[in-house]
Amino acid sequence: MRGIEFFRNVSIGQYASTGSRVHRFTPATKYLWLLALMAICIAASSFAAQAFALALSLALGAAARLRPGFLLRGTKPLGPLLVLLAVLQFFFATSGDASAVLFALGPFSMTSAEARLSLMAAARTVGLVTAIGLFTSVTSESETMHGIEDLLRPLARLGLPARRLSLAVGIVFRFIPVIALELESIVKAQASRGADFGSGRGGPIAKARAYLPLFVPVTLRALERAELLAVAMEARGYSEEGVTRYAIYERTRGEGLARLAAAASCAAALIIDILVRPLGL
Amino acid sequence: MPLVELDRVSFSYPDSPQRALESISLSIEAGEYVAVVGPNGSGKSTLLRLFDGLERPSSGTVRVDGLDAADPINRRMVRRAVGLVFQSPADQIVSTSVEEDAAFGPENLGLPRAEIARRVDAALAAVGLSGDRKRPSYFLSPGQQQRLVVAGAIASGARCLAFDEATSMLDPEGRETVLGLIDDLVADGTAVVHVTHDMSEAARASRLVALDAGKVAFDGTPAEFFDPEGMAPELLRIRLGMPDRDLVARAAGLTPVAGEGAAELASRIASRLGSRSGVRPSALGGAGRGGEAGQRTRAGEGGAAREPSGEAFALEGVSHSYLHGTMNETSALRDIDLTLPRGGVVALVGKTGSGKSTVLQLLDGLVSPFRGRVRSLGVDLGGKGADLRSVRVKAPLAIQRPEAAIFEPYAGDDVAFGPRNLGLSGKELVERVKGAMEEAGLPYAEFRDKRARFLSGGEKRLLALAGILAMRGEALLLDEPTSALDPSARQAVREVIRAEAARGTTIVMATHSMEEAARADLVAVFHSGELVATGAPERLFYEGYDPAWGIARPFAAEVSFALEKADVASGPRPRDVAELASALSRQAAEDRA
Repeated sequence: MRGIEFFRNVSIGQYASTGSRVHRFTPATKYLWLLALMAICIAASSFAAQAFALALSLALGAAARLRPGFLLRGTKPLGPLLVLLAVLQFFFATSGDASAVLFALGPFSMTSAEARLSLMAAARTVGLVTAIGLFTSVTSESETMHGIEDLLRPLARLGLPARRLSLAVGIVFRFIPVIALELESIVKAQASRGADFGSGRGGPIAKARAYLPLFVPVTLRALERAELLAVAMEARGYSEEGVTRYAIYERTRGEGLARLAAAASCAAALIIDILVRPLGL
Repeated sequence: MPLVELDRVSFSYPDSPQRALESISLSIEAGEYVAVVGPNGSGKSTLLRLFDGLERPSSGTVRVDGLDAADPINRRMVRRAVGLVFQSPADQIVSTSVEEDAAFGPENLGLPRAEIARRVDAALAAVGLSGDRKRPSYFLSPGQQQRLVVAGAIASGARCLAFDEATSMLDPEGRETVLGLIDDLVADGTAVVHVTHDMSEAARASRLVALDAGKVAFDGTPAEFFDPEGMAPELLRIRLGMPDRDLVARAAGLTPVAGEGAAELASRIASRLGSRSGVRPSALGGAGRGGEAGQRTRAGEGGAAREPSGEAFALEGVSHSYLHGTMNETSALRDIDLTLPRGGVVALVGKTGSGKSTVLQLLDGLVSPFRGRVRSLGVDLGGKGADLRSVRVKAPLAIQRPEAAIFEPYAGDDVAFGPRNLGLSGKELVERVKGAMEEAGLPYAEFRDKRARFLSGGEKRLLALAGILAMRGEALLLDEPTSALDPSARQAVREVIRAEAARGTTIVMATHSMEEAARADLVAVFHSGELVATGAPERLFYEGYDPAWGIARPFAAEVSFALEKADVASGPRPRDVAELASALSRQAAEDRA
């Protein structure tokens, strides 16, 4: 990494307005697809089902005119974390693990079951990040919040603060790029004062230490900006009761079909999962 | 009945022994245009927050439309009647699309959808954003974002808009559109209260209120406030400056006229002083930097034509885009060729988003260009094994709002961060930190153990600059070093820059202040990612000026160029209003003699 540009690798939270058919679905439908894809990634324990979920995300992405590279790029920063997970697997043994040992170093070993677990964790992470990246690429932030409001509306009658929750989610999404840019500019400020960033030198410990001076200012700036936004909202008469909504979402043709397809894909993936499980795939 | 009425209002912040406001009585009538000025900490922002019921007075009452603003029952009505526009544009936008943001207020009022739609249409049309209604709100320029906040207030039914230094973070064009919008609002009968540090902006209002230490020190017309003789001596210190127009008009022996532009003023001066055709005033050394001759001299002194042996930075065929290879790729710079000389001050100017910040980051190797070559202090940044870190410490960059990156609890420790990265320690480190802090105007003994968090905004900016000065680099890269500062802090930062330039440091700075650009040795103008002009300010802001750049011409240059054309001024070209004023008063004195 020679130049410093964090935001480029954040695919979550970047709405890509291509105006495709997928973009025009109501937010509720998009949420159903997100839930279906996430359910597969979390519940399925076979590689076949994970591959199915990933393929589905990429296919929907293609229909939304998003390049696979754009969606997959978001998984790149997670690489080190996944490697760390694998290393931890190596150092800790699972009780009752009788599978073949692939390699060993002193008292530590990596068995085939542990290797499979590590790979599964990686597959799940890639699948989840891609699904979320797809969702945020086709759903604008306001759709994100209105979708939650719509999905939670039945519960609002039971006293659930649907507007507050949906606004909170909307602001979280809005703050992802804000914080990424804030972090980037602070990294640049420290790099300019001789901190070692983006010059590709130093080991992992030196790198981790270089990031320490960032936490304080980034946290402070995030809080500062949150406070400014809160005051602005207050000044604009924010309230939770007796409010109306300007944005409306009309169901497009094929909306019901798309929702059914989400449920069907989820069911299909879980059935595949059960079928291939004995085969160890 | 007044729209907003304060009756003996006092206010103090919790945990603060001092009163922010003390026994203020003030009323704002419907449709009035009131400027509020005063030194830092005089209570201007607090006053606006009381208008809107964001703060409750400790004693006294605030009434909006006759309703007690402090009473929670009236909150909706009060916030609907008074709209606030704050300093930082991006932090006031709640929704992600333009039209939904304008709808946020009416939604909170619980209006039916059809009514919201009607109001949003009208409000967006009033601020000139109808064509942008579907766009994401964060893609708007800062000036457009401020107008969107105004649209939100109009859609809620605001009858008074209060601007809290709302133009201080905008580029000149954004500032002009917001000031124009204020004029439109006033013409439509909306009351405007405008808190500002800029005296030229304050002079546009029909009434001026000056606050000092929480009290109303002056309440009258701007003409009275800026009349050099008209003010009681004990109040003079709150007059923080004079509008450029007043300074120039009075220097020529004329009375300033409210709302007069540079062209009209120049023609009045021309008829007063008469043609000087053929006369070279001896003032300022006659054969100085004036006219054609002056340009040549000037360019030879320190401008574009400086000996190329001393190249500090060079961009060759540089193009860059952000989010390269993603769906939202945006081009930032296209085919830039620019060589910057060693020593002297270079100003990068242009609208927000024109590419100035990207240039600074390219020069420091913080951004690597997508095409082309960057050479900084003799190092080819794209070359194999180029040591970017050594370039960065020799040409440290102060990002926009550099105080955001302060992370050590104590001021002195933060300044030491850079030198420690350079490997300094012990006495040498202390000397370095001390020198940098003193240069930034923060005496070491007094400030080293102060908590950075509790410094004032201006002191924080100076502290951040001290951290950069402590690198003792060969060059300084500064991104809008004086933005969003009050006049005294801005002056302090300008002095630091001047002192650094005097010791031979190369300064490259992006700025929205044309007054700062006019004092630079070389100005580079950027427009939508292209370099559209470079040259000495004495040429660029005169015959070289092109309104299509989207930047305002400095007031002094505008008046003085008009005077040149009218054959009134043929002397040296003034670099700022003070120089123009002194030349004019000399000329007026000669006439009298």
